Amino acid sequence: MIIASSIMLSCEEFLEVDVPDNRIISSTVFNDQESAESAVQGLYNELSTAYFAAGGPNSVSVLTGLSADNLITTVTSQNLREFEENELTVQNPNNYEVWSSAYNLIYQTNSVLEGLANASSINQQEIDRMRGEALFLRSFVYFYLVNLYGEVPLVLTTDYRQNSTLSSEEVQVLYNQIVNDLEEAKELLASMPQNKLRATSLTVNAFLARVYLYLENYQAAEIVSTDVISNSAVTLEANLDDVFLINSSEAIWQISPESTGTGALHTREGNFFILDGPPNSLNPVGLSSDFLEIYTNQDNRLQQWIASFNDDTGTYFYPFKYKVKYATTGEITEYTMVLRLAEQYLIRAEARANQGNSSGALTDLDVIRERAQIPSIMNTNPNLPVPAILDSIAVERRRELFTEWGHRWMDLKRTDQANEVLVPIKSLWESTDILYPIAEEELMKNPNLEQNPGY
Amino acid sequence: MKFLFRSCLRLSIFLVLSSWAIPCTGQQQISGTVTNTDNMPIPGVNITFKNKPGGTTTNFDGEYELNVQAQDSLVFAYLGYQTQTIAVANQSQINITLQEEENSLGDLVINAGYYTTTDRERTGSIEKVSAEEIELQPVVNPLQALQGRMPGVEVVQQSGVTGLAASIQIRGQNSLRNSPGNNGNQPLFIVDGVPINSSPVRTSGLLTNVPGLDPLNVLNLANIESIEVLKDADATAIYGSRGANGVVLITTKKPKGQQGKLQVNARLYAGFSQASHKMELLNTSQYLQMRQQAFANDGEEPTLAGDPDVTRWDQNRYTDWQEVLFGNTAEVTNMNLALSAGDAYTSFILGGGYHKEGSVFPGDFGYQKATANINLTHRSKDNKLKLNFSTNYGVDQNDLFNDSFVGLALTLPPNAPELYDSDGNLNWEESTWSNPLANHYKTQQVNSNNLMSNMNLSYRLVEGLDLKTNLGYASLNSEELIKNPIRTYDPQYWANVQASSTHSTVNRSSWIIEPQLVYETQRGNFNLEALAGLSFQNTRSSTLISVGQGYSHESLIGNLAAADQVRVNVNENIDYRYMAAFGRLGVNWKEKYFLNFTGRRDGSSRFGRDKRFANFGAIGGAWLFSEETFFKEKVEWLNFGKLRASYGTTGSDQIPDYGYLDTYQPTTGPGGLYATQLVNPDYSWEVNKKLETAVEVGLLENRLQVGVSWYRNRSSNQLVGYPLPATTGFATVQANLPAVVENTGWEFSLSTTNIKTKNFQWQSNINLTIPQNKLIEFDGIEETAYQNIYRVGEPLDIAILFQYEGIDPETGFYQIRDVNEDGSYNYDDRIVIKNLGRKYYAGINNTFTYKGVALSFLWQYVQQDNYTYFAQSGTPGFNVNQPVEVLDAWQGPGDNSSFQQYSQNIPAFMAHYNAIRSDRAVDDASFLRLKTLSLSYNLSPKAIEKTGLQGVRLFAHGQNLLTFTNYLGLDPEGGLALPPLRSFTFGLEVKF
Repeated sequence: MIIASSIMLSCEEFLEVDVPDNRIISSTVFNDQESAESAVQGLYNELSTAYFAAGGPNSVSVLTGLSADNLITTVTSQNLREFEENELTVQNPNNYEVWSSAYNLIYQTNSVLEGLANASSINQQEIDRMRGEALFLRSFVYFYLVNLYGEVPLVLTTDYRQNSTLSSEEVQVLYNQIVNDLEEAKELLASMPQNKLRATSLTVNAFLARVYLYLENYQAAEIVSTDVISNSAVTLEANLDDVFLINSSEAIWQISPESTGTGALHTREGNFFILDGPPNSLNPVGLSSDFLEIYTNQDNRLQQWIASFNDDTGTYFYPFKYKVKYATTGEITEYTMVLRLAEQYLIRAEARANQGNSSGALTDLDVIRERAQIPSIMNTNPNLPVPAILDSIAVERRRELFTEWGHRWMDLKRTDQANEVLVPIKSLWESTDILYPIAEEELMKNPNLEQNPGY
Repeated sequence: MKFLFRSCLRLSIFLVLSSWAIPCTGQQQISGTVTNTDNMPIPGVNITFKNKPGGTTTNFDGEYELNVQAQDSLVFAYLGYQTQTIAVANQSQINITLQEEENSLGDLVINAGYYTTTDRERTGSIEKVSAEEIELQPVVNPLQALQGRMPGVEVVQQSGVTGLAASIQIRGQNSLRNSPGNNGNQPLFIVDGVPINSSPVRTSGLLTNVPGLDPLNVLNLANIESIEVLKDADATAIYGSRGANGVVLITTKKPKGQQGKLQVNARLYAGFSQASHKMELLNTSQYLQMRQQAFANDGEEPTLAGDPDVTRWDQNRYTDWQEVLFGNTAEVTNMNLALSAGDAYTSFILGGGYHKEGSVFPGDFGYQKATANINLTHRSKDNKLKLNFSTNYGVDQNDLFNDSFVGLALTLPPNAPELYDSDGNLNWEESTWSNPLANHYKTQQVNSNNLMSNMNLSYRLVEGLDLKTNLGYASLNSEELIKNPIRTYDPQYWANVQASSTHSTVNRSSWIIEPQLVYETQRGNFNLEALAGLSFQNTRSSTLISVGQGYSHESLIGNLAAADQVRVNVNENIDYRYMAAFGRLGVNWKEKYFLNFTGRRDGSSRFGRDKRFANFGAIGGAWLFSEETFFKEKVEWLNFGKLRASYGTTGSDQIPDYGYLDTYQPTTGPGGLYATQLVNPDYSWEVNKKLETAVEVGLLENRLQVGVSWYRNRSSNQLVGYPLPATTGFATVQANLPAVVENTGWEFSLSTTNIKTKNFQWQSNINLTIPQNKLIEFDGIEETAYQNIYRVGEPLDIAILFQYEGIDPETGFYQIRDVNEDGSYNYDDRIVIKNLGRKYYAGINNTFTYKGVALSFLWQYVQQDNYTYFAQSGTPGFNVNQPVEVLDAWQGPGDNSSFQQYSQNIPAFMAHYNAIRSDRAVDDASFLRLKTLSLSYNLSPKAIEKTGLQGVRLFAHGQNLLTFTNYLGLDPEGGLALPPLRSFTFGLEVKF
């Protein structure tokens, strides 16, 4: 036994196994520029596959569309029906996927931020730029969390011991973090060249304009959106059919379907919404009749962004912003749009209206209306009072931005219109439904979390 | 590192080899014949030295030869005969007649892994099942053959699909980790000295991905000599960190010293199997009535698009979907051939087997395997060198499809359309349904081959001291191909779907080297056996999963070169290294008082650098009180009596590899990396402390043998994938929990010889286990994710449920209790705790023999609760079929029924959704099953005398013939899976 023990002692090294060839030790990732860059690219790739962002049945675009008045389910899907009828249960798996995929991405951004903080062998300018991108992406995720769930835990490190028992932070605290991070990111990304697939200062500004609008800081919203609108790198597409293409001049930030890694060359949105047969479990969602009524017949968006499928079971209208359902060979023609210039006009219109600048507001609003070939308000009704202008902007936002990242639902929430709009059409609506519940699983695991009211 | 490793190897090889050349001293030769009382030679009698290791066995003619010294004593032992000890003195020939011994505990040799003992002398808890009990069962997996045969061993067959892994737990659940991909409750499997990674092989197919395919399938059941299960600390502590959940030792057949003559044993059986149970479901008129009433109750009209079963399909058509989708008869064929020959020094067995099974599913599916094995033993003339080499090789092919029909068969409306249209194509009924047979074009083929090879060398250095080495290599390769042709889709989608294929390759290979020193000595009444050894093991597992998309023609699917796109989903290689030093010291005084010390120091690469090593050890003792003079003289009816006890520690390193590494991995998209997991470098071994006491007695000339044991195992420092809230970024992290799980239990075994006359015998074996599992300690459980999964003071396998309160007399929907009256139903309202573990279980085996005819049958009884089919059923009134029990649905106020009113609205759905999470969903799932029934007839030697054959046996065998249960569902053990198959086989065995 003595001999045996001594042999064992000398052979301890036997137990050292190599790191598996499909992994890289974290500390070495941030030792060189190239792999650190890959970690940052990884954040975008992970965003494009994260459920809440991926455009499919667990995405903000679809779920909030159902919760609001834009989308309906067209075949029985109990989980989606809970969103549509505003009867979300705490066990709803789609709701849990939104939450957990968002926090996974937050972990990834925190991991990159911590890695960059200790990266000594990369040049500072590159570190700053990468840090800016990570901060932007983290803010982007928190924006959706705070809007969907209200108070949520603010996770800024990768330390699970601490993060597993965090309590929720007040909405104000969360927004402060978002704004501070975005302002810092803007500085850090100042020298980043224009790139529609990565965060640049233009991207940060466009998003910041939205955040200021949500915070009702209209002055700041106007200033920042003006920055974006006046940037020559982006201009509105004249033809609505070109807006979602890969070379759209209107795009500020897009996600390439290639980064989903499925080999698909089409967007998830196109694949999910477009019907080439009657609705089925893979395409269970369509546009509501309530939504179709907001368009006048001459509105080009009705012609170009909405389509229908007919058969003897009925007529089904679906969003047709993305034209490609399946592209399995050939080239990518469409990217998933995250931020585009049209929204900036609508942000500035609303910011101006709220500051009493009616004509400025109408000018911006009409830019969007005219592109859709509907009459400009400046021409038809130049003296519209501010509340009516705001109503027009709300309708225009709904017409323009439907099925893009939950605008309608979050507009109803931030403008306190949800009760008024949804009570007449949703029999089970309660005002507390405006926040989604925190999944039961999550409450079980973190005793310091509190459920949102009404669940 | 490599250098060091090599030097370790060299050192061990040196230890092994350095001694081969040591010379030996002169000895005398002895020979003789061993016969029974009818003067017939007995082949295979074990002849060992009483005073030292070594020995031989008799050949086919009962003859033996041995080098001995004058002071030696020889022990002649053979199963079923009284052991005799003879002093050699100056004899050169010893002929001996062995007396038959009835139901003798005698000197039944028990394999304890690194050493052997006898049933009489063992200090630990070891169960043994021998070849006869296993070999005729028409199953492919050796574990399935153990069901009901051993106390303390729970084998659950989760599905009737051939090849799927059965789950096995020895003395209960020790670890909180119990999910299919991360199961901390697997015992250690050792085949002929080589540890086998027994975790189920991951597949991509939906029918097989849970629980996965069993890597032991490719063993040939006919080539298994015995399966021993080690249960207590005394038996398992020598396996240290891998013994916590018990050890299963599978030993293949070895040659028994045939001399010269070639012996042939050929066996063939064939038969058929069917699913053992079907449920009684609504017929078409009952179903449609339910649907119509649901619409009437809701005040709604069925629509053409949403409700084709009511509006578009034939209202009179009826199909028994269970019959169509899993009602086929599967044929079974099995062939085996074994050849053995040799001389006094070298002998071998060569064997081959072929097994083929059809499928109960429609379509051309099935399973087949072919095996080959060789076992060679050699000893040198001076008896110093002994060598055994065994190799088992098997290939199998499992043809399945990538989906399951079972769930569909239970839920498809009974008036669903024809499967085929008039042209013989799949009928899609104008796209109003998904044709279930579309799934069977999604073929899944899994091909595996498995090699297990072992060489055992032993050399006598000096008298009493042997140097042994065990060298083992095991390799498993499994290739899976799933085809997904366009034909599986409704033709209206054909323009837009692509044919695809999924390819999975799993490789596992491992080698092990275990040099050992064994010492035996006798000083007067004092006997000592000592063993010290080292173990080095290296295992590499790799998984490669790739997908090909866009084939231009169905016949090309599967050839990646023909795919438009190929992508790799998983490509991982995992290294696992393990080393240990172990030892044993066994002493006894007058073969009456026994003490056994075992210990092991283990190191495993699955832990962080500072936590790699740990020590484990045990002590066991036995007292053969029947050997005391008092009992021998005063208690004559007691033939055998033993008290034994053991205590010790074992551990578990059954956790995923690399859990301590902080790493990044490539994203699925191009050019990206992402953080793999949360990291905890400080987790360490799970510790399992085992205590056992037992008494074994044999009465009335051993015609009545009783064994009772009590055990208590406590697992602490629970190593888990600790569940975390998603806010941490991930769902789990590897960590040790301050939790203690206790398994206690009583195990009883009783074997009796009820009737014994010259021609007729009736023997019974009964085993009964009363297990109790309890989470006894878990500080701060309220602060963890486990608070709603486990409860301190309760078993681990529990369901925490709502309290069902009958049907609301006003709405007609199920009601559950809102305990805190807050208007919502969540975990605070789950107050009913149901134990889903086994309360007790038993096996009752009876064997009757009358001359050449033998009949034996095994009943298996399990007392337990489980989720019934209700837990998986759809809401009554929706477009899914229901069990006939639903006809008792609520009709109106005052109705006292057990099912809620038919309705498809949200409150109905929610009420049902809650009710299936209430105690209404758990009910008695006890069952009594006629597990095996076997009838065989040995032709009398006279009848075959002239043919030159040595034995002819005809046999019939039945498996899962009868099940008595009150359970609502397909099978009380299986849930929604295919119930176990009921098989009948008939066969013939010939020896010449």
